Amino acid sequence: MSDSDRVRETSKQPEGTERTESDPAEADRESETGAAREPDRKPESERDAITVDEEKDDARKIVTGQARYTADYRDRFPDLAHGKVVRSDIAHGYVESVDTSAAEAMDGVDAVITPFDDVVPDKLYSSSGQSYPEPSPWDLKVLREHVRFVGDPVAAVAADDPETADRAARKVEIEYRELDAVFDPEEALDEEAPQLFEADDVENKQSGADYSQNLESHFEGELGDVAGALEQASDDEKRHVIQTEWETPYQSHCVPEPHTTIAYTDEDDRHTFITATQVPFHTRRQIAHLFDVPIRDVRVKKPRIGAGFGSKQEMAIEPITFALHLAADRPVKLEMSRQEEFTALRFRHPMQMQMQTAVTDDGDIEAMDLYTLSNSGAYGTHGMTVANNVGTKPLPLYPRVSNVRFSGDVVHTNLPMGAAMRGYGAPQGHFAVEGHMDEVARRLDFDPIEFRLQNAVREGDLDRSVAILKDGDRFTRTIRSCGLRECVERGKAAIDYDDLEQPDEDHLHRGVGMALIAQGSGVAGKELGAAQVQMNEDGSFHLQVGGVDTGTGADTMFSQIAAEVLGCTPEDVVVIAADTDLTPFDYGAYASSTTYISGRAVKNAAEDAKERLLEWGSKLLEEPPDVLDTGDGGVYSERTGKRVSLEEIGYEATYGDDEREHILGDGNHSTDESPPPYGAQFVDVTVDTETGEYELNKLVFAADCGVAINPALVEGQIEGGEHMSLEYATSGDLTFDEDGNPDVLGFRQYGMPRTTDHPEMETILVETHEPTGPFGAKSIAELPTNGVPPALSNAIRDAVGVRLTELPFTAEDLMAALDDQSGAGK
Amino acid sequence: MSHMKIELEINGVERTVEASKSDSLLDVLRRNGYTGSKRGCDTGACGFCTVHVDGEPVKSCVEPVTKVRDTSVETIEGLGEQDDLHPVQQAFVDSTALQCGFCIPGMIMRSTALLETNPNPTEQEVREALSDNLCRCTGYKKIVEAVLDAAERMDSDTAVAADGGQAMDGDGGAATVTECALGDCDCMEGDQ
Repeated sequence: MSDSDRVRETSKQPEGTERTESDPAEADRESETGAAREPDRKPESERDAITVDEEKDDARKIVTGQARYTADYRDRFPDLAHGKVVRSDIAHGYVESVDTSAAEAMDGVDAVITPFDDVVPDKLYSSSGQSYPEPSPWDLKVLREHVRFVGDPVAAVAADDPETADRAARKVEIEYRELDAVFDPEEALDEEAPQLFEADDVENKQSGADYSQNLESHFEGELGDVAGALEQASDDEKRHVIQTEWETPYQSHCVPEPHTTIAYTDEDDRHTFITATQVPFHTRRQIAHLFDVPIRDVRVKKPRIGAGFGSKQEMAIEPITFALHLAADRPVKLEMSRQEEFTALRFRHPMQMQMQTAVTDDGDIEAMDLYTLSNSGAYGTHGMTVANNVGTKPLPLYPRVSNVRFSGDVVHTNLPMGAAMRGYGAPQGHFAVEGHMDEVARRLDFDPIEFRLQNAVREGDLDRSVAILKDGDRFTRTIRSCGLRECVERGKAAIDYDDLEQPDEDHLHRGVGMALIAQGSGVAGKELGAAQVQMNEDGSFHLQVGGVDTGTGADTMFSQIAAEVLGCTPEDVVVIAADTDLTPFDYGAYASSTTYISGRAVKNAAEDAKERLLEWGSKLLEEPPDVLDTGDGGVYSERTGKRVSLEEIGYEATYGDDEREHILGDGNHSTDESPPPYGAQFVDVTVDTETGEYELNKLVFAADCGVAINPALVEGQIEGGEHMSLEYATSGDLTFDEDGNPDVLGFRQYGMPRTTDHPEMETILVETHEPTGPFGAKSIAELPTNGVPPALSNAIRDAVGVRLTELPFTAEDLMAALDDQSGAGK
Repeated sequence: MSHMKIELEINGVERTVEASKSDSLLDVLRRNGYTGSKRGCDTGACGFCTVHVDGEPVKSCVEPVTKVRDTSVETIEGLGEQDDLHPVQQAFVDSTALQCGFCIPGMIMRSTALLETNPNPTEQEVREALSDNLCRCTGYKKIVEAVLDAAERMDSDTAVAADGGQAMDGDGGAATVTECALGDCDCMEGDQ
């Protein structure tokens, strides 16, 4: 793959040459960093602020209704105007004319903008909120003359109040020249299919693009010789070739707080955004480029945000809000409706996948071949990179398979656009890979868990499949922490794997399924986090960090990491985060990067400040710094036991007679590492063979996320991730009519699970120590979104012997499969 | 926008608010600074805007403001302060039953309404009572645990008070879980 912006060749090592532990270069690197890493590993007895259920720092604000989200800032802007977007009601065509006169004539209307206005940039961009230049095509315009799905923004209105904005938006009249549309990704690849983009409609094209057949990207990568291995296996009666197919639907983020932005220009002529974003710094850069203003003149502030799950990695509404602000010359708030969230914003990409393996009679996997066809929808944001992760997340579960091929096509249709969504291709990929592995085991009469463990990753393995789409081996990784086997063992016990009781009724059948899970911790080689610690004279600290708390509790985690280093309590650390004017840079909250990358930057900053604390402690205690350490709110001597409080140090450093210093520390973190957290998802299900209905009895998720900095928050991540995964397996889907109009307009038509839809859940944390992570931590946020679809498919297969391969699983599908099965048996 | 004046009580304070005929109760609350009630769907489908009207849980986004004339409305802002939390709020904090927090004010108002009418709910009763309130972050597990925990705290407070002991004290009296004073009642069994 010639994905040049993401690949930098650093190694001349020939392909296929595996590094070993005895490799001198590797050994040097290990010993060089090993000494520095060792203090990171703390036995439980020596931990103060980490692996503690520290109260979430905004919890009291939240439960009292005091937490301020973007829309809650309205009272700070007496002259705030309210925006409303006018969207395309056809799936494909050109805007011939826009008549804004009736809207503009209304009292209380401040601005109406169209693609033809000067304040609206006539420039291609990507909304992806990725690093620069984005590994997504630049194929969007702020308002669109060429509309490509029902919901494309064509015009926008700002008015004195929301009601007037709504009425004015309805008075904007748009005439279209309609074009033929295509809604099926396989049909879209046909040469006769309607074409969404002309070649010059896109800049920054991605690998393998061919817009003449609606192809946003084609990619492939291979280790070893897959065709040879498959051919050899099919000619050998002691080997087996098994192929399976899988299909997944659109899924909505159902982000609690709809996308909301307030844009204004302050008294210093600086363009300021209070916005619900996961990526303040990427948004600042993208806005600056799009509107051709200097980066320094743009400020992006993230207040509390009502979760993101990837949908707020997108710069989806900030440009329209800003254009409205420029046109209206007053602060503008744009807040999406729930219907817009369900029809016009961003979604998980639907996919069709094929998986093929060659397996020996002894249960060794000799080859894996995975293909995905991804429906990117109307625009290409995250199209290629999400599809890439369909393979590069789950295939590394089996790093010792020597022949691996992974390929994919990413195709445009006239439907809403896929984008980043928690899991990022891994939920689709795990459905195919872990459903497939279970099917192989059952067909060849292996225990499905034993078969997986026989082939699965272990600590010390060299994982090349994670970098299968890259040139060179820069991103090949050594697995330094892996608690997968303990996850499986403890999960099995929790779900009563070996003692499952069958119901008395003949038509009810119970089964258990399991899926192994892996994710990453940040984007390898494409991350940067930074932080700064400032000491106050009373021994407290201000921590400025670019990292973004989307509601996960990341700010609390930052305070715990800083406190563990500085020897204070987390409450003594005031976290100032995610404001491009006030905090150091950060790539933002995506790809499960915040603890691993931003958290490590915080640790580095705190360690930098700690050096100064020890210097001042040395002066006051009259002992050398190397016998001193921080803890219990002070600096103490390991030799004499004498101590001085942080407050004494703070006052002395600030107001001392001889010399003075503001105790500061700064830290950066960037790395080529992205260690996988691991998990095992178990599902216990009962199937009714008379109706095809099924009931989940229990979900168990056992996770290895390294060291859990805040176990209660980690459990929350797991349980919430399983919720989304449960929806994906059982109830979430978006459908469209034959003209591309959405059937799902809100929560009432969408199957988001409620309290009564959730089975019993048990969450297990398996601690390992990841030497490259802050205090041994890896990531957790995305890992648990991957497991329920394959584990439930496997459980149903266990219960009644049929295989469901298309999400979500309905009673009708299950009944049809049971009918096929009994038909085949006759 | 045609304006009218609506008189009602909000969190115990008599208020006269300006409104237009098409305003929902949520519109009026948010415009008047009660922004703890969140706008999640504007169709009564998510529960983020749940408040009490005359003690009943109501989705304020689909409650016409004209219907709440002369009623008593209670919002999340009327429940407890950050340093003096209501037992339900305290239980949500202590159980880490929140992440982004956008659904939490509505979830808490729904929970307090439940515990008013059913002080000792079973887990299933909690799940049914909260089934109109969506949460995307938590998987509901810790939320259900928090409500059961709150029931226990409030029950033991009430029991102590009935026993001639101290009523709920200044800090909500709920930071620590005390044994149920009713001895062999089953109120502890709701805890999963």
